[in-house]
Amino acid sequence: MRERINRRTLLAGSAGLLAAPWIARAQSNPLKIGIQSIFSGPIALLGTSSRGGIQPEIDRINAAGGLLGRQIQPVYRDSKGQPQEAARVARELVNTDGCEILLDAEASSGAFAVQEVVRDLGVLCVHSNSETSSLTADPKLRVATAFRSTRQGVHDAIVGGAHSAKVATEKKLSRWATCSPDYAFGRDTTAQFLEFLKHFKPDIEVVSQSWPKLGQPDFTEVITKILQAKPQALYSALYAGDLSAFINQGNVYALFGAMQVFVPAMGDLPVLTAIKNLPPGIQSAARYLPTFPDTPANAAWYAQYRKANGNDYPTNWSWESATAMRFIEAAVTKAGSTDGKKAAAALEGLTIDSPFSTTGKVTMRAEDHTLIDYAIGWGTTVPQPPFVTGIEPGDWGQIFELETEWKKKNGYI
Amino acid sequence: MGRTHTLRDIAIGCLVVAVLAAIPWMLPGKAFQDFVIRCASMALFATSLNLLVGYTGLSSFGHGLFYGLGTYSFALLMQKTTVSLPLAFLLTLLISAATAVVVGAICIRLRLIYFAFVTLAMQMLAHSVIISWVGLTGGDQGLQGGIPRRVVAGIDLGNQYNLYLFSAAMLVIGLLLMRHIVATTFGTSLRMIRDNETRAAFLGISVWRVKLTVFVLAAVFASVGGMVMSLFVSGAYPELINWPISGDAIFAIVMGGVGSFLGPTVGTMILLLLNDVVTRQTEYYGLALGLIILLFALGLRRGVLDFVTERLGGRPAGGVH
Repeated sequence: MRERINRRTLLAGSAGLLAAPWIARAQSNPLKIGIQSIFSGPIALLGTSSRGGIQPEIDRINAAGGLLGRQIQPVYRDSKGQPQEAARVARELVNTDGCEILLDAEASSGAFAVQEVVRDLGVLCVHSNSETSSLTADPKLRVATAFRSTRQGVHDAIVGGAHSAKVATEKKLSRWATCSPDYAFGRDTTAQFLEFLKHFKPDIEVVSQSWPKLGQPDFTEVITKILQAKPQALYSALYAGDLSAFINQGNVYALFGAMQVFVPAMGDLPVLTAIKNLPPGIQSAARYLPTFPDTPANAAWYAQYRKANGNDYPTNWSWESATAMRFIEAAVTKAGSTDGKKAAAALEGLTIDSPFSTTGKVTMRAEDHTLIDYAIGWGTTVPQPPFVTGIEPGDWGQIFELETEWKKKNGYI
Repeated sequence: MGRTHTLRDIAIGCLVVAVLAAIPWMLPGKAFQDFVIRCASMALFATSLNLLVGYTGLSSFGHGLFYGLGTYSFALLMQKTTVSLPLAFLLTLLISAATAVVVGAICIRLRLIYFAFVTLAMQMLAHSVIISWVGLTGGDQGLQGGIPRRVVAGIDLGNQYNLYLFSAAMLVIGLLLMRHIVATTFGTSLRMIRDNETRAAFLGISVWRVKLTVFVLAAVFASVGGMVMSLFVSGAYPELINWPISGDAIFAIVMGGVGSFLGPTVGTMILLLLNDVVTRQTEYYGLALGLIILLFALGLRRGVLDFVTERLGGRPAGGVH
C-alpha cells in the first residue's frame, strides 16, 4: 500500500514538472494490461488456455521492443467465475494496478459485468471469450471502447443451420431430437439452431427435447429417452466435460449408429482427446483445430502454442484470446496511444493478418465492435487425429445477410 | 441502554461518515472507495444475519435469499420500470418484508437444524426461480444491460464518489438502526429467546411473534445490502442469490465475532481484504481462505472482536455464553 501511494505521489509530482521529462518517464514505464478470467475451479481451463494464447503474443511483442517502446506487463487476475468479482477485479486492475487496457477473458456472465465497468472507466477493453451475441449486437449494451474478438452464437447458429439442413436434405432427415444443457445458454443456442435449420429446411419435425443438468454424471435417462423417440437426427449443445461424458455413455447404447448426430462444440481438442472411442460420422463445428484453416500459419501457431505451454492443446479460447492481444497491439500502434477513445477509434474496422481465418485476415467490424471473417465451418468426425475431416467453411456473405435479419427481428437495428 | 448511548452512537456514526467523505480528497485512488462500497453491502448483510444468529439464536443458512432479492427487485424496478430511485428503494424494502413474512411464517416454527435447512431450501428455491425465469431475470446469465441510475435531487449515483457516500451512509444508518433494535426491550426479548425460549414464553413473550418480527427486520436490512451491491455491479446475478453468499455472511460473522455488535462488520472487512489480497497473489484462493478460517476456529475459537473484548476484560455486547 505504502509503495503504491509513493509511486502515485511521484507520478503526480512529475506531472507538475516540465512536459519533457514526463513523456520520457511514460515511455520507460511498463505498459500494464489487465487480464481477467477464471483460473480456479472446474472451468479453470478457460483461464489457463486463454493465458496460453496471450502470453506468447506478449513475449513476442516485448522481444521486438514492446508496444510504443514500452514493455508490456500483463496482470492476470482470477474472478473465480463470479460476476460481482469480475466487476470488482476490472475496477481494481484499472484503479489500483494502473492497467491502461483490459483484455477480458471472462465467460459471458463475467463479460457483461466487465462491460458495465468499462462503460464507467472508458479504457480500451477487448472481450476474448464471451460468445453471447447480444453483448455487441444489442445497441443498449454496446460500449464505445469495448470490443469482442470471438466467434459468436448467431454466426455459429447460421452456419450450423445451413450445414445441417444440407446434410438433412441429402440424407432425408426430418425427425429431429435435441439434447442440451438446462440453462439459458443451452436453451438459447438450441432455439437459435432450430430457427435457422427450419429457415433452410422448413419440413423438419422436433420429436423429443432433453435438458440434462449441468455436470450431470449419468446420462442414461436422457439417452434412453432419445432412443425411444426414434429420431433420424440429434442436435446437442452440450460441451466440454458434459459432452465427453455424453459421448462416452452414448457409445455404450450405440446411440451414434442409430441416428445422425450434430454437435457444434465437438471440434475442440480437449473434448476430442477426452473421448475414449470417438464415434465416426458425427457432424461437428470446428471451434479450434490445427487443420482448419489448413494453412502453414495455423500449423505454426499450433506448434508454437504447444511448445510454449508444456505440450497442452490450445482451445477455442486460446485463439480468441491471442486474437484479442493482436488487435490490442495493432490498435495501440495505429493510434500511437493507449488512450481509450483514441485506441478504440483505431480499432474500429481494423483488419489484421491472422492464422485463424480461411482468408488469412480477420476484421473488427466497426458498426458493432465484433469479430468477423474468422474460421467457421463444419466437418465429420473420424476416430484418429485430425479427428474432424472434410471441413466446409461457412459462407460469410450468407452469415451477414441472415445476421442482419436476425438483428432486425430482435429490434437491434 | 439509555438515551445518551443512542446519541453517542449517532454522533459516532456522523463522525464516521464525515471521515469517510473526506478520505477520497486525500487518497485519490478509487480502490478505497470500491472497497468501502462492497464492505457496506456485505456488512449490512452480515450484521442483519447476526440479528438472527447472534441475538436470537436462529441459525439461518438461507439469509442470502433476501440479499439476492434486494439486488434483483431493485435492479428490475430500475431497469424495467420508470419509478424514481427512492421509490424503487422503498418498494424493494416492501417486497423483501412481504417475502420474509411468508418465508418466516413457514420457517420459524422449526427449531435448530430444521430451521437452518428449511431456510436453505427456501434460498435454493428462490435461486431456481431466478435461473428458470429467463424472460424476466436473464436466467443464469444474470440481468444484463446495466441499471440506469436516475438522478435524485441532483445526486447521480452513477458517479463513483456519490455512490461511495451513499453506501457509507446506508451502512452507518443501517448499523445505527440495528443497534437501536437490539438495545430496546425487543432486543432483550431476542436474547431471552436465544438463552431460554420456554422461560421467555412463560414470562409472557409471544415467542412466535418476536421471532417473525426479527426475521422480517433482518430481511429488510439484508435487502439494503443487496441494493448497494446491485448499484455497484450495475446489475443482478444469480451468484448473488445462490447459497454460497449466505456462507460468506456466516464466515464474516464467525471471523468477526458473533457476540459483538460490530463483529460482523469487522469480519466482513477481514473477509474482503483476504479475498482481495489472496486473489492478487494466487489462484488457490479457496485453500488459503480455508486455512485461515481453520486458524480462527481452532486457534482463537471465537471471532476477532469477541477475542479482543474478552482480552480487554469486557463482556461481549451480545452476551454470548
